[in-house]
Amino acid sequence: MLNGVAAGSGYALMGIAMVIIYKTSEVVNFAQGEMALASVFFTYLILQNYGIPFVYAMPLAALFAVFVGCVLEFAVLRRARRQTTLGMIIVTIGLEMILMGLVSWKFGADHKVMPFPITEFDSIWLGGFYVTTLEAVTFSVVWAVMLGLFVFYRYTRLGLIMKATQQNRSAAKLMGVRTNRVLMFTWGLSSLVGCIAGLLLAPRSMEPFMMWDPMLKGFAGAVVGGMTSIPGAVFGAYFIGVVENLFGRYASMEFKSAVAFALIVIVLCVKPSGIFSRHYVKKV
Amino acid sequence: MRTHILLASFALFFLIACMGFPAFAEEGVTDTEIHIGQWGPQTGPAAAWGSVARGTGVLFEMINEKGGIHGRKIIYHTFNDAYNPAQTLAGVKQLQESVGIFAWVGGVGTAPGMAVKDYLMERKVPWISPASGSMHWIDPPQKYLFATYPLYKMEAKALCRYSVEILGKNRIAIAYQNDDYGANGLKGAKEELAKHGLTLVAQVPVDTGEGDLRPHAAKLKQSDADTVLLWVAPKHAIALLGAAKAMKYDPQWMSTSTCSDYPYLYDISKGLWEGVITTFFGDGPDSFGPLMREYKAAYDKFAAPGERWGTFFTAGFGFAEPLVEALHRCGRDLSRERLVEELEKLQYFRGVMGRISFAPFDPDDPMCRQGQTEVFIAKCVEDGDMVQLTDWLKID
Amino acid sequence: MDMERDHYEDVAFFTSRLGVFWFVILASGLLLFPFIASNYLKTYYIYVANCIAVNVIAAIGLNLLVGCTGQISLGHAGFFAAGAYATAALTGKLGAPFLPALLIAASLSALLGFLLGLPALRLEGPYLSIATLGFGLTITQIIGKIQYLGARQGLHAPDLVIGPFNLNSDAEKYYLFAAMAFAACLFARNLMKTRVGRAFIAIRDSDVAASTMGVNLMIYKTLAFAVSAFFAGLAGGLYAFVLGYIQPDTFNLLMSIMFLAMIVVGGLGSISGAVAGAVLLTWLDLTLRNVLDVPVLGDWLKSLSQSYFSITGVSNIQYIVFGSIMVLIMLFEPLGLHGIWLRTRQYWKARSDRGRRG
Repeated sequence: MLNGVAAGSGYALMGIAMVIIYKTSEVVNFAQGEMALASVFFTYLILQNYGIPFVYAMPLAALFAVFVGCVLEFAVLRRARRQTTLGMIIVTIGLEMILMGLVSWKFGADHKVMPFPITEFDSIWLGGFYVTTLEAVTFSVVWAVMLGLFVFYRYTRLGLIMKATQQNRSAAKLMGVRTNRVLMFTWGLSSLVGCIAGLLLAPRSMEPFMMWDPMLKGFAGAVVGGMTSIPGAVFGAYFIGVVENLFGRYASMEFKSAVAFALIVIVLCVKPSGIFSRHYVKKV
Repeated sequence: MRTHILLASFALFFLIACMGFPAFAEEGVTDTEIHIGQWGPQTGPAAAWGSVARGTGVLFEMINEKGGIHGRKIIYHTFNDAYNPAQTLAGVKQLQESVGIFAWVGGVGTAPGMAVKDYLMERKVPWISPASGSMHWIDPPQKYLFATYPLYKMEAKALCRYSVEILGKNRIAIAYQNDDYGANGLKGAKEELAKHGLTLVAQVPVDTGEGDLRPHAAKLKQSDADTVLLWVAPKHAIALLGAAKAMKYDPQWMSTSTCSDYPYLYDISKGLWEGVITTFFGDGPDSFGPLMREYKAAYDKFAAPGERWGTFFTAGFGFAEPLVEALHRCGRDLSRERLVEELEKLQYFRGVMGRISFAPFDPDDPMCRQGQTEVFIAKCVEDGDMVQLTDWLKID
Repeated sequence: MDMERDHYEDVAFFTSRLGVFWFVILASGLLLFPFIASNYLKTYYIYVANCIAVNVIAAIGLNLLVGCTGQISLGHAGFFAAGAYATAALTGKLGAPFLPALLIAASLSALLGFLLGLPALRLEGPYLSIATLGFGLTITQIIGKIQYLGARQGLHAPDLVIGPFNLNSDAEKYYLFAAMAFAACLFARNLMKTRVGRAFIAIRDSDVAASTMGVNLMIYKTLAFAVSAFFAGLAGGLYAFVLGYIQPDTFNLLMSIMFLAMIVVGGLGSISGAVAGAVLLTWLDLTLRNVLDVPVLGDWLKSLSQSYFSITGVSNIQYIVFGSIMVLIMLFEPLGLHGIWLRTRQYWKARSDRGRRG
């Protein structure tokens, strides 16, 4: 159970990152994982090759992540706005391939070791289970990010503007909101959250394919949660983590992912737009 | 009407062109060149195995620098198949039909290899040392296919025998990858343990794309095994060790030659790999045999910057050794039939791999095409150094 | 637009004599292709053509679902796998003749499609994509468990025998595959002009409106899934014989994504678009490994990797090129390749009209 929550935390951050973008622009961003990957390898590069201390590397990585997100929005997604939803998915898949290609071209396929101050081997005994320090940190980061986003959307001017853009883009535009900029910032923000997820996953295993699995599970979690709700994404991610771990442990290891997905389908059949979002009746 | 005439003449033209096609002496060999091919995944999730094909390339460069084989230089053609069988077949066909490859060597992966096996065998193109230890290569045996990679089954048997007979363990579990590699390991372990009247206390499958190994580690811990065989890819082996370590679970870990790159694994597991026992099918990259030192010199000279001197890379040398040896023995008069004859005559040939012997083709004896049947067992110690625990073990 | 007086006019194969002309050219080109390829090029190109034919069938099927009915599927590799395994097992293990086996396999796949279509009745967009993704994952897991199908060790496809003919070479297979692909195009084209096809399009445009107009959503949505899965199963059955050996891992998520990319890059909702997309992406997939051998570009890329990237990872340029082509097509032509074709046609028409006037 706790193992599942621990695994879910990694997915949760990826889920949140996807929700941030989907909420604002209805784009399912398949490049999310690789955006995080780019930031993680950037961090590795500055830590390893330029010997920048960890304390300074973190803000630099965050800046880089925001930069990547903004550039992608500005250079690609903005130009593709005439596209259908599906077209947008294909665009993000294309971006995913480009980013993945660039990272593996630069760093090769071998595993890397990220110099990270928190080790994943030390653990605390917690009510019958071991929880590693890294897992504990990840867990608290998820809540911190969730809280931070809540405060951001609720109380800051920019957050309010973003919410307004989500609800009705043309109305927001008429009110003098520069929606293009808001979208760009959304991508930056989402990339930042993804980067945090990537950095917390990197000590476990760091290679060009490390983000594929967390991204898919995060996406699945976000879908269970309703795709537009941040707490929903976190809940969904924990749901997947827990189901996989429990089923894997007590029933069949092979079918653990399949069962998690089957459960998702059942949940979705009952609540077609996920657990945490209100179901809108479509207008004709 | 005019178009009809035009088309008819076109058709006629092509029909005429179809006739008359020249036959040539031996494909892929000229007076000065021998064309050898290999595929390997340079991109995608299996890209770490790409260094096998690059290692073979360095070996050929080394040979060419010394003047080639009987006056012929080896022209090496390698391509990236991204571990996708459809792409493997595409690349093999293209090279075979445009360049004309004399023989293929290595080639990572069971699925990619199986996609091209029939094509190569129909054309009677020799293929030496597929880089995976599958039963598919030798069962049924093919006249032109020479396997050297020890069967995964043998490695499992060797490890089980060692842990039961020498270490006196009796609670053995396995974590196996959900594919041909893992399935063979599982089978070997079951067979060997049955001989000692034991069974596996846990069998934990690991999916190739799996990202979270915690449930697997928990399951192994639950079974309370004292020895765990890791029939998985290196990254999963490391993740399992890490997860188990966090759960304060510390059995004797054992793994295959796939995970025998000690310095690398020691490094990326941050030292956890210390104490792990694995099989080896060839000398370690840092062993001090004269041949290995020669290869190391070639690596220093020819390898691309950033290339790592590791087990996969040296395996690329090792896989090509029987081919090179047979080419030497063929002499100036080189044909595919001659090559097959010379390969069949190899007896206890020793390069950097274990001893390799083939036998004349016998459709009822798979082992006539399984060159290497021995492995040795070693242990990883501090700093990724290796301590050899046994001599070469011959496993049937 | 001309008024149509008759349904047959709508489904008529040729609309003009020019059409007949181009059709003859195309058909004879396709027929003669193996001769040209095996003599002037290599049989390798016939193999590539076979792969293309397989993907064309799958893409047309997916297009019926995604482009025409507006449902999304990230699990088509699952149907593809079901078709491949069923065909290989029926012919190889049970000795069934090829064509019936292929049809049974495709029908089985269609049945799976029908079943997956049931939850799809309530889902859409990302929700549906996750559900179908899970399906694709589960199918390969289940196949991997079945010893009879070779489990994880994979399964051999036997020789391709139809009646007295043993289709061994790529060229022989080519005729079968090309005919199948052609039949698939024709079937899809005509299907879209029937009541069923119109119902699909009505659902895509607005399912609520369609249901108020009397389209039975339950029947037509599941039907779309079933038909689409039938095509995928058919393609899968052929694929087993292209490679001769299949393994569960081959039918992964990447494959589903590729199918989806084919129809979107080609142009959603149009059959010629699906064909064009399948041709382009399959060709890129199978030949991009040669990108480093392109005369000037290849050397430049190599020196670039030497100084800024790594030589060992140089093959990843394939990914970058592939991704860039996808992104660029989507950026500059929202309708994909089909849109480019429409625009070119428009341009020439306008030109010739101007010429006639002037």
